[in-house]
Amino acid sequence: MRAADLTPVARDVMKRPAGLGFIFASFVGAYLLCAMPWSGWLLLARPDFVLLALMFWTLHEPRMIGQGAAFALGLLMDVGDSMLLGEHALEYVLAVYLAQVFRVRILTFRLPEQTLHLAGILTLSSFVLVLLNLVLGADFPGFAFLLSPLFTALLWAPATWLLYHPSVRRRRSESPS
Amino acid sequence: MYEPLPFFHRGPSPLARLTFFALVAIALMIADHRFGALETVRLSLSVLAQPAQRAASLPGEMFGRMTDYFTNQDRLLRENQELKVKLLEQSAAAQQSKLLVKEQELLLNMAPGKSRYTSDGMIAEVLYNARNPFVRKIVIGRGLTQGVRPGMPVIDGSGVVGQVTTVGTFTSEVTLLTEKGQAVPVMLVRNGLRAIASGSGKEGALEVPFMPVSADIQNGDQFVTSGIDGTYPPGLGVAQVTSVEKNAAFVFARIVAKPAAGVDNNRYVMVLPTPIAAPPAPAAKADERNKRERINPKGSRREGR
Repeated sequence: MRAADLTPVARDVMKRPAGLGFIFASFVGAYLLCAMPWSGWLLLARPDFVLLALMFWTLHEPRMIGQGAAFALGLLMDVGDSMLLGEHALEYVLAVYLAQVFRVRILTFRLPEQTLHLAGILTLSSFVLVLLNLVLGADFPGFAFLLSPLFTALLWAPATWLLYHPSVRRRRSESPS
Repeated sequence: MYEPLPFFHRGPSPLARLTFFALVAIALMIADHRFGALETVRLSLSVLAQPAQRAASLPGEMFGRMTDYFTNQDRLLRENQELKVKLLEQSAAAQQSKLLVKEQELLLNMAPGKSRYTSDGMIAEVLYNARNPFVRKIVIGRGLTQGVRPGMPVIDGSGVVGQVTTVGTFTSEVTLLTEKGQAVPVMLVRNGLRAIASGSGKEGALEVPFMPVSADIQNGDQFVTSGIDGTYPPGLGVAQVTSVEKNAAFVFARIVAKPAAGVDNNRYVMVLPTPIAAPPAPAAKADERNKRERINPKGSRREGR
């Protein structure tokens, strides 16, 4: 029961913005992780690190990262993963849209609940990717494809620790109190 | 639902943006799939992605080399029980030379394929499997700048691996024989019977559809390329028949073959130039053929099952 809770809905409204360089570096790192030579079963289960970074920055830096960035990164992933241009772009844009819509809601929760929300959004967007490929005549890859969004969502907590807390820690160490 | 406050309003609403980007993405997909119109975009993006790609595959390569190293060591230890102590002392040098000899053997194996044709191919290193669970492709380390063009056949020491389908600046994608719908015109070595082998989408299996039940095909028969398509030079090994199912209830026999080449496990492959085009077909017959193709432009691959 939190009847007298006067904390603002989004707890991080006064957070200092993350540097553009840091955001860029996180995307480069995520792309490198995705570009490792995954194959076979592991490829189906590969967490989508780029999408994870996108979701993080959509939720925490909505003024800098949005659907435009999602589209551009999606195209880059399409080239890297030898898919049709636009497949990943569509997936990412949809995921980022859902994150934008539910942003305030998601940020009121703590990490476990956030992970659940993420799992839902990511599963939905990966369904789009599979559906697209089925329409294009590919065989159903098996339900292992559900592992990828699941693993991506499970990485939400480590990603938050990695991407969010450096700036918070820095701010705490800088603040006089 | 998310609704920005009016005094913080920034551009179009998320839903409008989603609609816009989704439409653009779908338009891109159609342009790429139906018309192949975006090769320049893909090329320029691949230049961007290339350095990252290289950097990312480094740890994997090193790991691969490490595993190679250790498996070779295992075998040597078994073979040379009495020299165990000595081997352990000198194992590093021994392993490396083993690896080199193996690689040289691989390259030499490819040479006969080279001598069979007028112009020679180029040897390319297999960089990685395409990271797309829906297709069977590998990426090789030769691209546009080295003269690779779409459509070129790719072989290894024992047969056809696949065909170059997408070319980047320094890398190219090779669609493997086993990719669903990837067809190769073949010929039976034993009796010259011509057929078309197509990928099954499963690892290590090709199908030979539309062969009548009466066709003379037996288990263990070898298929080589027939060369009538003008893409693959004739005589390259393609597959060995592993199962022939003749059921009188169906019009066609169900024939499954195993690719001759190590489609999934090569370190080096050879890209062959597309052979010189055959003389054009006689005009009247070409017309007839066009007409027939118009009636059934693609054919249906999966009937008679």
